[in-house]
Order: sequence, then structure tokens, then C-alpha cells
Amino acid sequence: MTENFSAILPLLIFMAFMVGISIFVRKNQAEKNFLGNYFVGNRELGGFVLAMTTVATYSSVSSFVGGPGMAYQIGFGWIYMAVVQVTAIFLVLGIFGKRVAILARKFNAVTVVDIIRARFNSNFLAAISAFVIVLFFCGTMTAQFVGGAKLFSAVTGYTYETGLILFGLVVVIYTSIGGFRAVALTDTFCALVMMVGIILLLNFVLQAGGGYSAIMESLEINHPEMFEPFSFGKMPWGIYFTQWLLVGICTIALPQSVVRGISYKNTQGLHSAMLIGTVVVGFMNIGINFTGILAHGILPGNPADYGGVDNIIPTTIATVMPKNLVGLAIIGPLAASISTISGLLIVASSAIVKDIYLHYKKNADNKNLKILSVATTAIIGGIVFVIALTPPSLIWLINMFAFGGLETAFFWILIFGLFWKKANKLGAELSMIGGTIIYCVTQATGFKFFDLHQITIGISASLILFLIGCKLGEPTDKKTLQIFFPER
Amino acid sequence: MKKMTDAEKFSLIRREAIFTAFALVGLIIFWLVAGFGTSGSEIKIFHLPLWAIFGTFGVWFFAIFISWLLSHKIFTDMDLGGDDND
Repeated sequence: MTENFSAILPLLIFMAFMVGISIFVRKNQAEKNFLGNYFVGNRELGGFVLAMTTVATYSSVSSFVGGPGMAYQIGFGWIYMAVVQVTAIFLVLGIFGKRVAILARKFNAVTVVDIIRARFNSNFLAAISAFVIVLFFCGTMTAQFVGGAKLFSAVTGYTYETGLILFGLVVVIYTSIGGFRAVALTDTFCALVMMVGIILLLNFVLQAGGGYSAIMESLEINHPEMFEPFSFGKMPWGIYFTQWLLVGICTIALPQSVVRGISYKNTQGLHSAMLIGTVVVGFMNIGINFTGILAHGILPGNPADYGGVDNIIPTTIATVMPKNLVGLAIIGPLAASISTISGLLIVASSAIVKDIYLHYKKNADNKNLKILSVATTAIIGGIVFVIALTPPSLIWLINMFAFGGLETAFFWILIFGLFWKKANKLGAELSMIGGTIIYCVTQATGFKFFDLHQITIGISASLILFLIGCKLGEPTDKKTLQIFFPER
Repeated sequence: MKKMTDAEKFSLIRREAIFTAFALVGLIIFWLVAGFGTSGSEIKIFHLPLWAIFGTFGVWFFAIFISWLLSHKIFTDMDLGGDDND
């Protein structure tokens, strides 16, 4: 494919706009409470922005590239499985939103780790939490960088490295400059662009495929398995079960989602965000995966004919979109990628600056703190950028590995920590360390139960270890319990 | 907005979290019935089998209804405390 400058022009404008938002936010940032401003936007998010930033951080490049590619291969069973993600927003905001918001205001907390430290009175657990966040976030961010740059290269004809520099470096720069508030605003814009991108691509796929009826009639004849929930054995029940855990129920414990509970202004905003977020996440999921299935109208072969499932959407974009609109269509998936990177980057940075550095150096002055926060964000982003320059294979697996690791580490700690008085320090430490190690070992060795994803082992192990720890360990002191479980 | 003590707020938040968990269980049951439960039907609408419509669009609309129910009928507005109150 030849290089096509018109294909990257809209992307250049888009990225310049993102940087512009970030500079604007930085200039208008209040001088007082730098940390609160930089890491949680001073708790000023309204309902719409809260919904959009939560959805955008949650929806990654996998949702826009790997997912619809699988829908192309499997059929409607894939959408039936993917739609479980409609639970993600109302669950995390409904279960943790208010509790986390009130506790954060009590402790002046700006990170999830702040709350974990206060609940279990454990600096060790806080340090481990910060380490787990940085480790798994780096994995997820690498997957986003690689996925985005590969998509860019496949569609525009420019090199992988050009794509990485164009959108990868820019996202690191604008996140470093503007902090969480810039992330939230750019995420909102990204989510809107993703929706427009889906509509645009769907429209051109239908046009190029000869219309909805023609495509569907052809599918009914040539791919009857796509109209069956188990897709003639390609979608076993185990995938449905584990996806409910992996991208449904357990996503409530993802630190990048829970931290949104610290950042909103009032409960009216939270309530609106639950509704708006559910509408948006469902639209994106069904819209892009349905588009993946309809791509059969223009790509009649098998995924292997187009270089595998990850190449279905890039090939579709390159095939159906007019040359001058390719740039617009690619912004949608890249927006999914950059909004996830920015959301993770700011939380990873806060884990190092707030949860580790500041805990041991409480009297750091404001000026140094500003430089340190911006530098830490830039350095983490830079490290991931360098890793992505030599792309690891199996992006989808890296992403899912990191997702499962975070869920194993934080699910019971947050659920029990915030809703069960008997949850104690030993239980939390055993659960996080033991569960995460067991999860990683089963991933590394490929060990599975009943062919289910290792999240089932990780989450079960962390539950058992938590309960053992609670039985053997000291109960939490009364003062802490009175803060977390106040009595009349 | 009614003035509440911390204990009242946390009790209410616990109740809301339990309702959210019930909503999740309801959605899982709906998802099972709407998809697998109707997969034996031969009916097609817009070239799509019934299970594919109910199991995708149906689940989405049901989730929107649940979110509306939780956020507008069950959840209560409250002061979040701190110096940036509602």
C-alpha cells in the first residue's frame, strides 16, 4: 500500500486538538491542591464527562479491532458474548461510586491505593498495589500502542514507527501536560469520535456490500453457523462463562475505573453517568461488532485470507472508505487506543508519585511535585513507547492477561474492604500477593481448569486466600472500622 | 437534599450496592433467557434470529432500563462531604 497523506491529515488535526485541550486545561488549572488537580481533576467531573471518560478508558483498541474481527469469524454469538460489557459502567459506579467518593473526601485521597492503605493500615499492601498497577498497566498500554500503530500502518500505508510516533508520543505529551482533567476531556471527545467512526464505517460497509438485505441473505446461505449461539462449536460455553467474569462482573475492580469514583462532583452527576455510560458502551459494542459481521459483504473469504482476525477491520476501512475519508474512519479506533493509554498512564503515574514517593517524603514542595508528576507520567509513557517499538506478538493475549491480573489483585480487596467489616490486613495481603502470583503462574504454564481462562483460578485463589487470612489474622482496629463502617 | 449522618449515608450506599448486585443477577437471567432461551425459535426479524435480537439489542435495552431504574428510582442524592459539597 502506498503512503496516503490525506489519510493522516484528519489524524494530525485530531491529535493537535488533543494537545490544545491539554494546554488549555493546564493553563486554567488552579494553583492550590496540585495533586488533586493533576491526578483526579479536583473532583469536578459532571455526569456526561464521567460517563464518557469511564467508557473511553474501558473501551480499548481491542474492542475496535480484535473484537469485530472475531465477530467476522464467529457471527452473532460473539456479539451475544460481548454485550455482557453493558454491565461495566452501572456496576462500577453503582457499587463503588458513592462509597469511594465519600472516603476520598474524608482522607483527601486521590488514588485507589490511598483508600486501600487507609482501610487495611498497610504500607506494604499499598506498595504492592502500586507495583501491580504499574506492572499490568504497562502491559495494557503496550498492547494499545502496538494495536493502534499496526492499524495505522495497515490503513494509511505509513510505517508502524510513524504511527507510533504520531499518536503514541502525542498521547504521552498531552497526558503529561494536562493530567487527569485533560484525560477526562480528551476521553469524552474520543468517545464521541468513536461513535461517529462506527456510524461512518457501518454506512460505507452497507453501501459497498450491496445493502443490509443482500449481505444478510448471503450470510444465511454461506455461513449458517453465524446464526447459532455456539457457532457450530466455535463458541463453547466456557468462553461465555469466562467473558462474564473477565469483561463483565470483575471489571468493577479495575483501578482505572474505580478511580473515576473519586473524580466526580456530585451524586446527580454519578446517577446520570450510570445511564449515559450504559447507553454508550452498548452502542459501541453492538455497533462495531455488527459492522465486523457485515464486513463479509466486502471481504467474502476467511480471516486467514486477510492476514487474520486483527486485519479484518483495517482491511475493511482501507477497502470501503473513500481515500479522503480513510483518515476520519481511522480516528475512531485510534481514539479507543489513546483514551485507554491516557487513562492508564495518569493512574500509573499517581501510583508512583502519590502512593510511593509522597508517602515517604511528605514535605515535598509544590514546585518539585509538579515537575515530578509531569516527569513521571512522561517517563512511564516513554518506557512503554520504547517497548512498543519492537512489538511483542499476541497483543490480544497481553491485554487479557493484564485485565485478568488486575481483577485478580483488586476484586476481593475492594469488595470485601469496602463492604465487609471482618476483612483484615492479612487477608488482603495474602489475596493480592498469592492470587496474583497464582494467576501469573497459571498463565505462564498454560494451566487451566476445564479449559476456562485463568481468571477463574486467579479469582478463586484470591478469594480463598482472603478468607484464610481473615480467619488467621488480627481484626481491623475500631478506629478504622468507625471510618469505613460508621455506626449510628 | 436531606441532611444525613455518615452512618445513614453508608447504610444507604450499602442498600444501593445490594440493589445493583440484584440488578446484575436480573440482567444475567435476562441474558440467558433472551439468548439461549429463544435459540430454538425459527422466527427471524430483519434476517436475524430471535435469539440474536433479544440476546444483543434486547440485553442492551434491558441494561439501559436497569440503569435508569437504579439511578432515577432507587439511588438517592446525598452530600458527599469534604469542602466541595453538592
